Amino acid sequence: MEDLKTEIKEKVIEALKLADITPSDIDDEAPLFGEGLGLDSIDALELMLLLEKNYGIRLANPAEGKKVFVNVNTMAQYVADNRTR
Amino acid sequence: MKYSSSVRVTPSGIVLNEKRLAFASSGEDLLVEAYRKQIGDWPKFFKMDPLSKAGFVSSELLLSSEEPRKHDCEDRAVILYNRSGSLADDRIYEGTIRSKEEFYPSPAVFVYTLPNILTGEIAIRNKYYGETSFSVLEEFDPTTMIHGLESAFLDPMTASAIFGWVECGSEDDFDVCLFLVHKEGEGLKDFDEKEFLRIWKI
Amino acid sequence: MKQAVKISDNVISPLGIGTSENFLAIKDGKSALRLHSGAERDIPEDFCASIIDEDSLKEEYLKAGIPEDGYTPFEKRLMLSVSLALHGTGIDPSSDKVLFIISSTKGNVDLLHTEDPAGREYPGYSAKRVASFFGNPVPPVTVSNACISGLSAQINAVRELETGHFDTVIVTGGDIQSRFIVSGFQSFKALSKEPCKPFDAKRDGLNPGEAAATVIYSWKEPQKGDWVAVKGAIRNDANHISGPSRTGEGSFRALMAVLGDADRSDLAFVNVHGTATLYNDEMESIALSRAGLSEVPVNGYKGYYGHTMGAAGIMESVLSMKAVEEGVIIGMRGYSECGVSAPLNISADNRPASGTSFVKLLSGFGGCNAAMLFRKV
Repeated sequence: MEDLKTEIKEKVIEALKLADITPSDIDDEAPLFGEGLGLDSIDALELMLLLEKNYGIRLANPAEGKKVFVNVNTMAQYVADNRTR
Repeated sequence: MKYSSSVRVTPSGIVLNEKRLAFASSGEDLLVEAYRKQIGDWPKFFKMDPLSKAGFVSSELLLSSEEPRKHDCEDRAVILYNRSGSLADDRIYEGTIRSKEEFYPSPAVFVYTLPNILTGEIAIRNKYYGETSFSVLEEFDPTTMIHGLESAFLDPMTASAIFGWVECGSEDDFDVCLFLVHKEGEGLKDFDEKEFLRIWKI
Repeated sequence: MKQAVKISDNVISPLGIGTSENFLAIKDGKSALRLHSGAERDIPEDFCASIIDEDSLKEEYLKAGIPEDGYTPFEKRLMLSVSLALHGTGIDPSSDKVLFIISSTKGNVDLLHTEDPAGREYPGYSAKRVASFFGNPVPPVTVSNACISGLSAQINAVRELETGHFDTVIVTGGDIQSRFIVSGFQSFKALSKEPCKPFDAKRDGLNPGEAAATVIYSWKEPQKGDWVAVKGAIRNDANHISGPSRTGEGSFRALMAVLGDADRSDLAFVNVHGTATLYNDEMESIALSRAGLSEVPVNGYKGYYGHTMGAAGIMESVLSMKAVEEGVIIGMRGYSECGVSAPLNISADNRPASGTSFVKLLSGFGGCNAAMLFRKV
């Protein structure tokens, strides 16, 4: 699970072009949206694409994403439970 | 029309108000270096497409000498032109959907497939609520552009404009010439086609 | 006093060729929205859209002298639309006092999918080809302001006339709903699988649409019955590159720039953008309400044509002129229950119109918004 979390952090940083941030800067529990990393609605859509591209998970809509993209822990758990590759 | 500052940005260097700025890098790295040294507080820069990166850095440098720097206003327009529209980003987006097998259309790339996203980025950064407009020409054509600028000043709200050419063919291929133009202003230099061309040729 | 007077117009859509044919179709409640196969475009999902059958235009191209080869469908549609609009006007498009302004969001971008676009993907190149077809020597301008381009182009046209740079401006626009655009809007989860429901409580996205439209303005003394493009304004939300402002800031400011404190009672209606995305319609309702337009009838045409992008601002303006002339407010097709927080005067059915002017409103990515006031003399 720790490896998956680090992998997800790396992919998030790459997909969202978060300059000057390394995986160790992102707390597993810190909220991804709002204050945290300052992500917006386009980032949320990009995270949905990240899940599809890397783990074969298709979310129906951004509303569903809200539950998944709370923080790195919730994302990792969702990927572990639902990944098809 | 008058102008208070100008900036010329190409992959080989930056000339602000007719003075060459000292940077070590070139190409896309030049924009990053200029961002880090002169701007630094707008991490959204790294999410921008090549056109917006070039235009955003140029506009920030152009405004750096404005004292006090205008913020939260409706009387400043952003009137930009180029040749390639958003083709630099269009090609990147096409890459995300090229094959049926590897079909992952990226929303973060797609959103930049419109050149007027750049005018929006400048408006957001400076809280400019005024007119924003992007037009595409077949080639660099100061006559047509100055016509367009004169026309834009017909809006009674518009007193000044970030105006000019922001061409970008790819990450390392950009050519920018921007002016901060005022409808009127005492003690400022006249702005016309001749002056535009003089700065363009620097 | 000389003003920007409309000389002629044209609309080409799946519902017909010519403004009148299109107007009669939507007056009868006809919609061009159909479910289209994604597979045909190598897109995983099907989509609901209004798409022109290119073959249906062949005969018209022939009549207008437009060669079958050598031009892209995008270019040919604009050329046909301009050609039909010019017919009978006596305007010489080859004059250097005539300017072409093209309104398109993506032009020939679909060529990027081909092996070698050969420079034809450049917007200025296709604009030049369209203008050159009519022998026009002036460098054409392609307005690229996302979804407000059609109004932006008309606003620029009026100004180019007012400054005296040109005597006549031909504004033409359109877009092709290629794989590029459809996949992009799908990635934004912005498309509805059904005909869109503008301002409705159950709205769930927009439909892409294809059209080509033209409007021609000259600088002259308006005569009784003439349409005048009175005033237009573009304002930015200064908020977000894709999401509209929650306070409708740019649209509100554009409306105020155009209407000021003037009496709103002569307005037959406001023809809104009304894409049927959650945020657009909500934003427009707030802007209209802030601008004191809650009582004025509001309508939109996306339920008939979808979002025709570069054509939208032109087509929706000229169809609205026709509606005012005929004394009818075309119903907001797809609307049934108010789904925006600031209630507006909306009806799904056609209603009688009173008044001789209307406002056209548009918003787009990049935070841009445009409003324009048109009046029949």
